[in-house]
Parts: sequence; structure tokens; C-alpha cells
Amino acid sequence: MNGTALKNEALPSLLSGSGRQPFAAGLTMDGLSPANSEGALKLLSLTAQALRFERPPMPASFSIETAPNDTRPIVPAGLRRPIVRLLAGKTSTEHPAIAIARTFDRLRWRPHPFDLPALDTFVRVYAEQLGATALAWANRQKADAPDSGYFDAETLDDTNWMQSPPGRRVRYIETQREQDPDRARASLEAAWAQQPPDVRLRLLQAMQTGLSESDQPFLESLDKDRAPRVRSFALRLLSRLGSSHENQALQDCMQRIRQTQAGLLKRRTVLALEIPATVKEEAAPAWIRALCAEVSISELAATLNLSETSLPEAAAKDRNMLLMLALMATADRRLDLLEATVAHLENAWELLESSGLDDLGLMSVKERTQWVSILAKPYGRKLPERFFSWMWLHKMTAQAAPETLLKNVLETDWLSAVPGFDRHGQYWTEIIAALAPAPQRPALRQLLHTFDPTLTTTALQLVDILDAMEKSGTHV
Amino acid sequence: MALTLDRIEALAPDQPSLLAARKLLKPASWPTLAESEGLAWGECQGSGATPYRVVISETDDGYKCTCPSRKFPCKHSLALMWMRAEGKPPFAHASPPEWVKDWLSRRRKTTPTIEKDDPEGYSKPKASISLARQYEETEKDDPKAEARAAAARERNRQDREASMLAGLDDLDVWLNDQVHRGMAAFVAQSAQACRTIAQRLVDAKVSGLASRLEALPTRLFTLPENARSRAAVEELGQVYLIASAYRRAAELPADLVAEARQAAGWTLTRDALLGDAANLRVKGTWRVVANITEVQPDRLRRVETWLWLESPMEPGPRFAVLIDFVPVATGAAAGGYLTGDRIEAELIYYPSSLPLRAQIVQLVGGAQITGDDLELSANTLPAAYAGYERALAQLPWLRTWPLAFHSGFIRRSHDALYLCDEERTLALPLHAAQATQLLPLLSMGSLRGIGLWDGYQFTLTWAQTALGRWVYA
Repeated sequence: MNGTALKNEALPSLLSGSGRQPFAAGLTMDGLSPANSEGALKLLSLTAQALRFERPPMPASFSIETAPNDTRPIVPAGLRRPIVRLLAGKTSTEHPAIAIARTFDRLRWRPHPFDLPALDTFVRVYAEQLGATALAWANRQKADAPDSGYFDAETLDDTNWMQSPPGRRVRYIETQREQDPDRARASLEAAWAQQPPDVRLRLLQAMQTGLSESDQPFLESLDKDRAPRVRSFALRLLSRLGSSHENQALQDCMQRIRQTQAGLLKRRTVLALEIPATVKEEAAPAWIRALCAEVSISELAATLNLSETSLPEAAAKDRNMLLMLALMATADRRLDLLEATVAHLENAWELLESSGLDDLGLMSVKERTQWVSILAKPYGRKLPERFFSWMWLHKMTAQAAPETLLKNVLETDWLSAVPGFDRHGQYWTEIIAALAPAPQRPALRQLLHTFDPTLTTTALQLVDILDAMEKSGTHV
Repeated sequence: MALTLDRIEALAPDQPSLLAARKLLKPASWPTLAESEGLAWGECQGSGATPYRVVISETDDGYKCTCPSRKFPCKHSLALMWMRAEGKPPFAHASPPEWVKDWLSRRRKTTPTIEKDDPEGYSKPKASISLARQYEETEKDDPKAEARAAAARERNRQDREASMLAGLDDLDVWLNDQVHRGMAAFVAQSAQACRTIAQRLVDAKVSGLASRLEALPTRLFTLPENARSRAAVEELGQVYLIASAYRRAAELPADLVAEARQAAGWTLTRDALLGDAANLRVKGTWRVVANITEVQPDRLRRVETWLWLESPMEPGPRFAVLIDFVPVATGAAAGGYLTGDRIEAELIYYPSSLPLRAQIVQLVGGAQITGDDLELSANTLPAAYAGYERALAQLPWLRTWPLAFHSGFIRRSHDALYLCDEERTLALPLHAAQATQLLPLLSMGSLRGIGLWDGYQFTLTWAQTALGRWVYA
């Protein structure tokens, strides 16, 4: 009896049960009838063997796989394991991941494809900074993942900017706006309908660069955009152009500002912001942020009939007004005004954090570093001791801190004196390691080696990795 | 802070631990001993199939060992500390290997507890090194006692044989019941059915078949639904073959009988394995090509370390698998070696018509980490699979067989992944558990590799591609 006969004649009875479908009478094994228990078991074992020699069936078809067009070089082999060990292991905070992601982006590297499964969480959060392959990996299970291949060219132009990650699209438009605003607007208009809502808002923010009356028709056409935030931002830009469109947010703001004159010999304007009695003190920063979110400094100054540069001095006695100006100066990238404001508001860092500010918009790397310097300056060596303030700072900028800030950490015993350091020191060492600029890492290492090793394991691993990445790569 | 003998005494959980550690102070037991900046590590050949990896931190008395002992620190850790404290044998200065770095990166802040019930500082140690040094095992030369013990062992063996044969008779009845009900019905209630027969087989000391049946439901439910009934035929058929071969031992070749006895539940001790001159020994350079761990229903973790012989000097097996069983509670998730490690060793294979399972007889030096590729140019995937079919013809209840191949491709059909040859004449379904890890290989093109075929699914464990080496973690 061969395998085929066993599969055809014995298998059906084995599957359904010999009680329901008895074996065929002719199926005998060594003279034993299958009705005999030994004969039945012999049939079982021989049929089993026949099945085991069947080769697996060939699927009818296979998918065609296309690899993303990723021009970024892969991270050097010697760094793969340390990076996976750090990011896939137990870190106390997300700050090592932020630091490594920005370094990948700056060096224009990508993770090794074979490490993507182990780094899945990291890749999904920071995919835009890691190249086309990482983007494809992060989006592989999304229903609306693009059919076209992922793409992240080194140099963007009018033919390929649309295929790059969203962050790079925004930077491309902003750069084009600096050179040829009308042409940039035309590129944007042509591609507008294909952008998702969050990307449309970011691209619209790029329109602030080189804003002029020739942008007015396009901005007016956005009153039919499906995204409310896009519509309101377009209105904001239109009001800056002095169009007839009213900025309701500006009206709301003006209702809360009290403008008076003080001084006998030399009259000066004094501004104060009135907070409703129903808003609790701890909620005031968030309320203020909501109030001024859609108002620009130039609009406010024009409505108050004051110069922009005189606003901080006018608000000097009112902390709520100063906070509002700090928020507006940040949104408008007016770091000169921010600096003048913070001169009167020594804890601006913590107040901006408590306002819920969560985005620095299109600020460049250099601007973000300067922004941190301005906020940190009034503190001197008495830096904030709340971990969440530092966490917020790093997440806002996603950059290394200015050296002036870290100097105050590295040259004092401030870090070890932070309340709770002995229990939560690993959080602090990680974030300081993530914030430390490259020139200050040797000093940071020295400091870390003075602490209990269990508080500095991941921090030192991070410092080693960042140093090795920067030594191997070229800075962009 | 350098380790001292006083400190080791304070750390030792009890005197027997120190006694056991003293026996491990022989340099021959430690093919690797190294140190660097407050760390010391080594590899110790114990009773397991793979050497145990031990690391200590001299700065804070931290330690870690891959052995399954539930005493902390274990005898291996104590022995390493002891050798370090005494300064002999010498420890080579070296960079910490990856497994030491992995331990460092995972360390949590702990302090070895030393009870402070003594007003002056520390309690008296529970163990004494000086006592351990003085202890001598004196062999009690008593021929009569030895003869009584041997007779007792023979009685126990005969009792066990009788018990096992009775258990196999019960198994036949149970198998017939399943044939009568049908495999479709069996699959639906396999958990309960297998638990019942497994318990009976354990009582009858047929532990090997008991484990096989206890794990069967899980094995079936990893397969697609439409494949489970046929798989049940295959699995129960193999169980009957093992039982049948066990009963017909007198008619079968010795190698096959040895396999049947092992499959049924007889274990071969390391001493017995080493003591049989007929067992195949192979010396050479081996690469670790897979580490597979599986928690069994009996709460033991089965750890398989698969080895590939890099430069065979004569015809013989190219693969070997070292198998250890550790309690799940110990938390050891992997064997001592990492995939890719290279070791110089003599292995001894368990008796079999298809030598595969082995133990390390002797190690030359410690494991080396290397990025070298393997020479895998011998077989296409169909040719390697044909090797599996030949092996299956020799050992009908063969479970897992390693395949080494070139020109393989990972392809996707709907949601399933397959390993195919270039001409698409063979498509082995890849294990669903590794699907995510395999995705980056989809666009890699041709690859050379090694993996394990279990009759239903292929587990790729090693691949050499245009982007370098991929290993299954």
C-alpha cells in the first residue's frame, strides 16, 4: 500500500473518526484488519508518515515587495549593538531616544534595517528623522499608508519635495519663501490638496516667511479648508496683511488688556492683563496662552498704537502681560522681544512650561538654542529643580542645550543637590546627558563618574554613543 | 574595593555553597577567566550542555551566572570571587564581551544583603572558607554497600520497564479512542485529552511521551486551523511509532532503540554518555547559529544551542544541538552563548542513527565573538530539504531538523511569509512568531542561511545577506 492509497483511503476515516466512517474493508496491515485496534494504529502511523513526506503546498501568488528609495548611509556596524541595547533596554526616560534621533537626522544616517524590529517603538516615534526605510517601517500597518514608495532625497527640488517627509517639505517651502515667495506659494498651491491637515497647517506656518499682499488670494481661498486650525491661521495671516478680515482673537485679547499712562514728568504707557476671576492662579498661564494663540505681536502693537520694541517695558510691572508677550514673541520668532521681556520675567522658563506651550513652530536649530539661552539666563546657577521643566525644555527644542546652560550644571554641585537625586538620579543623568553639547561631554563624563554607577549607566552609554556617532559621521 | 575572603564568606548563602565552590577552583573548569576595570568574568563547564557564564563586579559585589541554581550567589559566582580574591589563577585583562555589557546595561541598583543583627556591624557569616578548605571527601570503600546499591538500581530499572510497558498499553487504548472519534474531534478537545493521558504516562514513568503529548495542543494551535486535523494524524502517528519501536527493541538497530528509549523518557547521564567509547566524538571549531528557548508544560525552560561545524575534517554531522533544561523560575532566558560565537570544542553525541544532540566534552579557551560569515555554499534549499526527507526516512519521529542553504528568498503571500528557492519549486512556511523580525528580509533578495524545520514551519535563525548578517533574536 503506497502513500497515495493511505492518504486517499485511510485519511478520511482518521479525520472523521472510524466510528463514523469505518476504514475500507480492504485496508489490512500485516494481515491485521483495521477493525482490530493494532491494525488501526498501524494505519494511523503509516498514514502519518505518508503525510510527513508531503511537501508544503506552494502559494498561488506572492506579493511584489519594493524597498524604499533610501539614500541615507546605514549607521556604522560598531554602533548598532550599543544603540539597540540602549534604546530597546530599560531607560528611565525618553531623552536618550530624542538625542539619538536628532543625531541620526543631523548626520543623515539611518538605522540598519535588521534592527528596525528591535527598535520598533523608537522608529515609530522618530521615523521622520530616520530616513525613508524607517518611515516605511513605521507606517507599514497603517491603512492610509501611501502606495508610492517612501523617499527622502538629500537635495529637494520642485520635482521631488512632495515625496519627502513632512518636516522636510515644510523646511523646503520656508527656504523657497526666503528666495522667491511667489514661486514657493505656487508650488504649495499645486500640492495643497494632497497634504493631510497637520501638514497643511505646518506648510501654512511657513508662509509667514516673505508674507505679502500677493499671498492674499491664496489665503482667502483657505476659508473653505476642512481643517479649523488651517482656516483660523489663514485668517491670522490675512489680518497681518491688513485685510478687511477681522481677527476675533485680537478683539478678545484687547478686551483683556488695560492700557494706562503713568509718570508725571515723562508719561509712559503701562499695560496690564486682566485675568477673569473664574480662572485660578495655577490655570492662568494656560488661559493666557489660549487668549493670545492667534494674535501676532505686530497686530497687537499696531492696535495698541505702540512700537513692538516698547511692549516689554510697558508690561514690565505685570507678570501676566509679560507672559503673554513671551508667548507671542516665541510664536513669532521674535527672540529680540523675548529677551527684552524675559529681562523682567525671571522665571519665564517655568511659566512657559506651565502654560502648556508645546511647539516652537518653524524655529531653526539656531533659534531654538538661542531661545533656551534667553529663558535660562535669568536663573544663573539657581536652575529649575523640577524634572518636568527640563523634560519640557528638551522636548520643545529636541536639541542640545546651549553651553552656557550646561556650564552651570557641570561646574557646580547643583545636580547632586537636586531634591530626590538619590532616588531618581537616573532620570536626571539621562536628560543632562541628552542635553549636553559635544564639547561639554568630557566634563559631563567626569561629573557622572562621581555618582553611584547605577545612576549613570544609561547616561554614560548615551554619551559614548553620541560621541562615537559624531566621530564617525560628518556634521550637516 | 577588592574582594576579600571575608566578604565572600559574608555573601555565601550557606556552607554547602562554599563547599561546592571549592570544587570549582580548578583552572581546568574555567576555559575563560578575564577582568577589566572592576569586573571579572569567566565561563565554567558545569553539568549542563553549555558552559555557564559568570560575571562579578568587584566594586559593589554584584554578580550574575547563567546556571539554574536558586542559591544566590551560586557556587560558580562564589568560585569566581574566590579565585579573584586569592589572585590565582591569573585573570587575563580584556575588554568586556557583549554578554557582560548586556548584564551591565540591565543592572538595577541592588545591594547584596548582609544581615546586621550584630551591634558591632555584621552578623557572623553563615559559611566558612577555612572549613571548606579542610573538608575532604573521603570515599567510603564498602563493596557490600556498593553491591546492594547496584542491585537496588537494577530492581528499580526492571520495575520502571514494567511500569512503562503498562503505560504504553494504556496509551494504545487512548490512541484507539482518538482514532475512533476522529482527529477533528480530537483537536477540539485536545487540551483535556492530552492532559489526561500525559498524567497517566507520567505515573507510568514514560515521561518523554508524556511531555510530547502535553505539548501537543500548543503545537497544533500554532498552525492554521485548516491544517490542525492532519497535523494531529502526524503527531499521534509518531507517538505510536515511538511506543511501537520501544516494545520491539530486540528487533531494531541499536541506534534506533536508543532514540526510542530517549523519546520514551529514559535519560542518559553525562557520565554514562562520556563513559561509552562507542559514542561519536567530534573535535573542531563550532559556531553558534541559533539559540531557541521554549517553556514546557512542566514549567521547565528548554534551551537549545545549535552549533555548526565550520571546518569538518572528515565526514560526519555538521550540526549539533546542546540542550539544557532550567526551571522557569530562575529567569534564565537563554543559554550561555550568543548567536555568532565561535568555540573550539570536542563534542560527544548522544547515540542515534542521526547524531544531533550532543554535549561539550572539552572546551579550548572561551567563546570568541566574530563577525565572520559561514561557508554555506553547499546546498540549494530543495537539496537541503531533500536531506531532511532522507533523515525522516531514517528516524520516523524526527522533530526538528536543521537546514543550511544558499539562494533562498523570503516572500510574502497574503499575510504569511515563506522561504522559497529561486525557481519557486519549494516554499517553506516561516514561523509566525518571527514574522516581524523577518520583514526587513523581504526586499533583501537572495540570502544564504540556516534554520530549523519542524515538519510544519521553518524558523530562520541565521541569514547572510547583502546588508550583512541577520540572526533570530
